[in-house]
Amino acid sequence: MSNIVIKAENISKNYRLGVLGSRTLKEDLRNWWTKKSFDDNQPEGSPYAYSKEYIWALKNINFEVAHGEVLGFIGRNGAGKSTLLKIISRITLPTTGHIVGKGRTASLLEVGTGFHGELTGRENIFLNGHILGMKKKEIEKKFDEIVDFSGIEQFLDTPVKRYSSGMYVRLAFAVAAHLDPEILIVDEVLAVGDAEFQRKCIGKMKEVSSQKGKTILFVSHNMQALRNLCHRAIVLNKGQIINEGNPETVITSYLKSETTQYLQQSFDDSLSAPGNEFIRIKKVELVPEYIGEYDIIDIRTPLTVNFEFWYNMEEEDGLIVGVHLFDFNGDCIFDIASPNTSFKKGLIAGQCKIPGNFLNDGAYYISIVFVKNITQRMYYYESCLSFDVEDYRPPNAGWYGKWLGYVRPDFPVVLQSKEI
Amino acid sequence: MDKNTEWEWEIKPEERWFHLNLKDLIQYKDLLFRFVRRDILISYQQTILGPIWVFLQPLLTTLVYFVIFTKIAKIPTGKIPAILFYLPGTIIWTYFSECLNGTMNTFFANAYIFRKVYFPRLITPLSIILFHSFRLCIQLVLFVLVYLFFMYSHHDVTPSWWILIVPFMILISAVFALGLGLIVSVITAKYRDLDNILQFVLRLFMFAAPVVYPLSIVPEKYKLLFWLNPLTSVIETSRAAFFAPHIVYPEYILLSVISVVVILFVGLTLFRKREIEVMDVI
Repeated sequence: MSNIVIKAENISKNYRLGVLGSRTLKEDLRNWWTKKSFDDNQPEGSPYAYSKEYIWALKNINFEVAHGEVLGFIGRNGAGKSTLLKIISRITLPTTGHIVGKGRTASLLEVGTGFHGELTGRENIFLNGHILGMKKKEIEKKFDEIVDFSGIEQFLDTPVKRYSSGMYVRLAFAVAAHLDPEILIVDEVLAVGDAEFQRKCIGKMKEVSSQKGKTILFVSHNMQALRNLCHRAIVLNKGQIINEGNPETVITSYLKSETTQYLQQSFDDSLSAPGNEFIRIKKVELVPEYIGEYDIIDIRTPLTVNFEFWYNMEEEDGLIVGVHLFDFNGDCIFDIASPNTSFKKGLIAGQCKIPGNFLNDGAYYISIVFVKNITQRMYYYESCLSFDVEDYRPPNAGWYGKWLGYVRPDFPVVLQSKEI
Repeated sequence: MDKNTEWEWEIKPEERWFHLNLKDLIQYKDLLFRFVRRDILISYQQTILGPIWVFLQPLLTTLVYFVIFTKIAKIPTGKIPAILFYLPGTIIWTYFSECLNGTMNTFFANAYIFRKVYFPRLITPLSIILFHSFRLCIQLVLFVLVYLFFMYSHHDVTPSWWILIVPFMILISAVFALGLGLIVSVITAKYRDLDNILQFVLRLFMFAAPVVYPLSIVPEKYKLLFWLNPLTSVIETSRAAFFAPHIVYPEYILLSVISVVVILFVGLTLFRKREIEVMDVI
């Protein structure tokens, strides 16, 4: 394969723990001395491999990127994604290993790097463009396009310190969007600006990646964007590659491993099960009807809550069971209840259905309340189930920003032309 | 297999020694001039007197030296009028110390950019030298005006042919500042304590060059020590150029050329070797 444009072999990076800036000569001399005596005692091997003062941000990373490929990096915070991009961008050096590549590389780890508040928008376009590696002629050629894209034409000769933060970001992104390298390295810059601007940015990213056959490496927490833009994804965890391949498969398995869901709880012993002398919980479970080929709860998935409990109250008492759904900010999304009914003592089962296309994406938990005679709370089984609802957008949705609202029902919104 | 593939770039745990990478620098020449332009544009934003400060700074300093060293300490300046005597030394010294101060803070002052994007780091110190050179040029115009005034009012003031070598002498002080600045920037990035010491040393260093006194008042046995400082020959030669009977010592000029070239070489090597690594400890 000769169309490999980046090849990374055995990349590792360690960082020194503690306050990095406050290094003094004395400390260094001492370190040097201990390291020296350490080396004397130890035969071979890296002197800091065993030291607690160092942390490995990356360990033995190997990958190749083909020409025109869009490669996404996934992982939670601190997994090493950004460190890896920094090494490829030549901002920091790897501790071991090496990377070879061909083609002009530009990295966007931030938009608006080097912007100076005192300078006008016009000056900053050039300054930022040059910092990102563009030549003067290149910027002059694209200048109108950049200004157009940013939409700040009338403020072009105003110092950027007078800009609103939205204008600032738009101008910054406009410059970045007109970079024309062979390899582009992007770190989470899609998460800026308003919805309309984000749509524009994603559109630009797609255009860049598909039409011009450019190689792109990028990190994002926006799974929808990754799913739609990437050709391949790599999952990092604690500095190591734990999965790689088709973005759909990789992202799904990543999401499954990342969520700490409690979809089921059951208890066999009616004496020690959660509850009290009136109510004992036997089982609570959330059963999703998965849509598509992957077992993952997304906004389309209908959910059923099943619960069973041992009931021990007088026959004439009325019982209401309520299901409360909360999001992780603690806001109650709904509070629904069964009709007031009388039961004999014994095992009782209940069910509640949450239709698909109802909840917005996010993390949720369910609590179940048991009420006697309409007013008396007998037992409250708090946050007994928790689950995540993943976002889903049809392919080519165009916009991947956060969808607003607690719920996301697909009530039809209809338009019709009033022209005759 | 990709054995025959031509890789264009390589990233390794260590930068190579003695690898200036001139091609890379030339690629970024537009950035160099943009940095200079930025510094010029912002240095006089929101000041009332604006660019006039470029003139005022050396004039005020000269005036202070005149009062302290001539009027109070009564240090002789020979036949040369005191104001005119101090002016070139002050201008050259200010140029040198500002270049040095700017370049030695390269990593601290630009950490916010260096953490986000790659370009040859050498662009930054070079832009600082160019920016101060621009200011120096304006100040030299001021000096020439003052000089012409004294030339016609005092008959003792006459230039010599050495005047042609003055730009070269300024280049020596620029190279000296750059080389020293590069070395110091790499060291202070790691050991911040040194920055405080160096500020103090730099202040003392001014008196180790004949900025505020003529070299002629230095006792003969210490003179060689003074000549070891490249700035001594820069300032003394410049004086010789503008004040005719002064003597020029070509052997000391040669000595300072050699020493600044060595310093620049050490500086460039150290800087290129450590420029990326340093960012991990800042």
